[in-house]
Amino acid sequence: MRIRNKTQLAETLETCRPALLDNPNILKALLAIQSARGYVPTNAIPQIAQVLGVTEAQVAGVLSYYSDLRTQPPGRHLIRVCMGESCMANHGARVFRTIQEYIRINARDPTQAERFTVEQMSCAGNCALSPTVMIDADLCGRVTPSDVLSLLEPYR
Amino acid sequence: MKTMRCYLANDTSSRAAGAERLADAWSERPEIQLIRTSSRGAFFLEPMVERETPNGREAWFNVAPNDLPRIVAGVGGTPVAGIPFLQQQTRFTFANFGITEPLALDEYQARGGLKGLAAAGSLSPEAIVEELRISRLRGRGGAAFPVWKKWQVAQQASSEQKYVVANADEGDAGTYCDRMIMEGDPFRLIEGMMICARAIGATRGYIYCRHEYPAAAQAMRFAIQKAREADLLDSDDYPFDLEVVSGAGSYVCGEETALLESLEGRRGVVLAKPPYPAESGLYGKPTIVSNVLTFATIPNILANGGAWHASIGTEGSRGTMAVQLGGRVKQPGLIEIPFGLTLRDILDRFGGGMAAGSRFKAVQIGGPLGSLFPESQLDIPICYDAFAEVGAILGHGGIVVYDHETDMVELARHFMAFTADESCGKCTPCRIGSVRGREILERIQIGQGTAEDLVLLSDLGETMKATSLCALGGRAPYPVLTAIEHFPNEFRSKLSAFSSQQ
Ligand SMILES: Cc1cc2nc3c(=O)[nH]c(=O)nc-3n(C[C@H](O)[C@H](O)[C@H](O)COP(=O)(O)O)c2cc1C
Ligand code: FES
Repeated sequence: MRIRNKTQLAETLETCRPALLDNPNILKALLAIQSARGYVPTNAIPQIAQVLGVTEAQVAGVLSYYSDLRTQPPGRHLIRVCMGESCMANHGARVFRTIQEYIRINARDPTQAERFTVEQMSCAGNCALSPTVMIDADLCGRVTPSDVLSLLEPYR
Repeated sequence: MKTMRCYLANDTSSRAAGAERLADAWSERPEIQLIRTSSRGAFFLEPMVERETPNGREAWFNVAPNDLPRIVAGVGGTPVAGIPFLQQQTRFTFANFGITEPLALDEYQARGGLKGLAAAGSLSPEAIVEELRISRLRGRGGAAFPVWKKWQVAQQASSEQKYVVANADEGDAGTYCDRMIMEGDPFRLIEGMMICARAIGATRGYIYCRHEYPAAAQAMRFAIQKAREADLLDSDDYPFDLEVVSGAGSYVCGEETALLESLEGRRGVVLAKPPYPAESGLYGKPTIVSNVLTFATIPNILANGGAWHASIGTEGSRGTMAVQLGGRVKQPGLIEIPFGLTLRDILDRFGGGMAAGSRFKAVQIGGPLGSLFPESQLDIPICYDAFAEVGAILGHGGIVVYDHETDMVELARHFMAFTADESCGKCTPCRIGSVRGREILERIQIGQGTAEDLVLLSDLGETMKATSLCALGGRAPYPVLTAIEHFPNEFRSKLSAFSSQQ
């Protein structure tokens, strides 16, 4: 469920408006927007600041600080490859390179360009099944480079 | 046909190993009813299916959907009590794992849950802290500070509002026991936090859970809801409110002051201490920030007495240690053992040797801030004192084993790059030092480093150790410097041929 327009952004923000005497929580508001919209558009910063009663600089500061907050819309599917030590020890970097390669080739087809966004993530807590790849909400363990094709295929 | 009750873990890692595939494939089969439990932590055997027999549970390992007939017929199972990886452990905090359904409060209670809280209810706040002093429990989040001292400070602080915060940021790569507790035995964390609340006089609590753990956050939210419905939280005799709050992918937010900043919704930047959170924490009020595992250890201490806990382990390290084994070993998983076993014991007795085709090179303990140990140093006992003596830390108990293919220069670069990415930027040694360190290692990696660069790196490391505001900058040099110390040739062989002295 994603919000597409301004009214819906305003509605999400409304749920984050601090009650009287309550402290505004910028991070919570940004996470709420991201989970509804997939990302936090930077042009919404003034509106967010106004609803929360904080400065625009404070909002921009929090938005740029946390690596999980995105200011660009991600692809239809978000692939996150773990770069934690256990996954590194199990050659997660090779898996990452294979996925990048797959996506590079795949993106030559314009209809597929927005299919995937790939990111590195820190430890997913799945270290006993390294290397770990997370696709949207699905966590996969013991991934090898040769698994990549069949792993990504179902995500259209 | 009689329906057979079988047990299958519902832990994130078990699902990643294929538990869901079994659950889906068997959902319509009349001969079997799957009970979704927590995981025993023997992840190399997952997905593992268990069934009850007159002689206790039997298990089938690495199960595929077409193994169902064998399981139903009872062919080829192994008694759970006969799995060496599990049988050699001492399970106290993780005693319920693999046995109970995580969100069944009645099962938690039937297996001794809430006894600690009941015991705490009959004690004065001072007596609870005294029990913890006797237990000699030290914090499991990394700094290993005596728990009772922190609680005493918060207890003696006078304030109309105090807070209890569980640090569920579990940032150290290679660690997952906090995740297991939240997903697998969430009431234990709630009980530990409630005991703390009574001891210090707090009425509100937060669980700051990292963004990478959606299933853990969800399980905790369900458990809190159940606890509320059972009048456990808002009980008349002690009201306590608990909320799960999500982080957003920042390692340094595991540091307690940065965590509290983040909990208030700001940039998670480290603050200078004192004041300590126990005096002035969340919204300036006395706050206990403790690790999930620390809280989860407390119910047993109150139920069995501090002296019970103090009787386990070694002189300076009482109780059990949750080792989380990962990397290139055959048998990665959760190992709860009394402090005192050596690193070699753990690798040999639990690790089951190296993964196929791998030869041992080094192990790292304590996450990205932990030291590397070569083969020659594996006889070090797992306890705070022995590690402190060699300048290492146990951290949160993650052990990662590296094999012969690991490029130590690349690994060192990875650590410095990690620190440069994650530094909160508050103090100069960490903010700038980590970037310079990364640059030097990049130079060496591409064959342009000089012998002076190695000297510079060690000088830089010593400066960061001595002058950083928190342990991120203060400990980041350790993996890098121990890599150079134990594998000097790998670094030297990459130096530029034009280097003045080699
Ligand atoms: C960079 C950094 C990261 C940390 N990350 C964590 C963490 O993920 N989890 C944790 O419990 N403690 C972490 N700590 C330690 C906390 O600051 C704090 O000591 C701990 O939460 C206290 O709990 P304890 O007394 O139960 O150990 C970190 C410390 C530093 C300097
Ligand atoms: S290191 Fe990759 S899941 Fe922990």
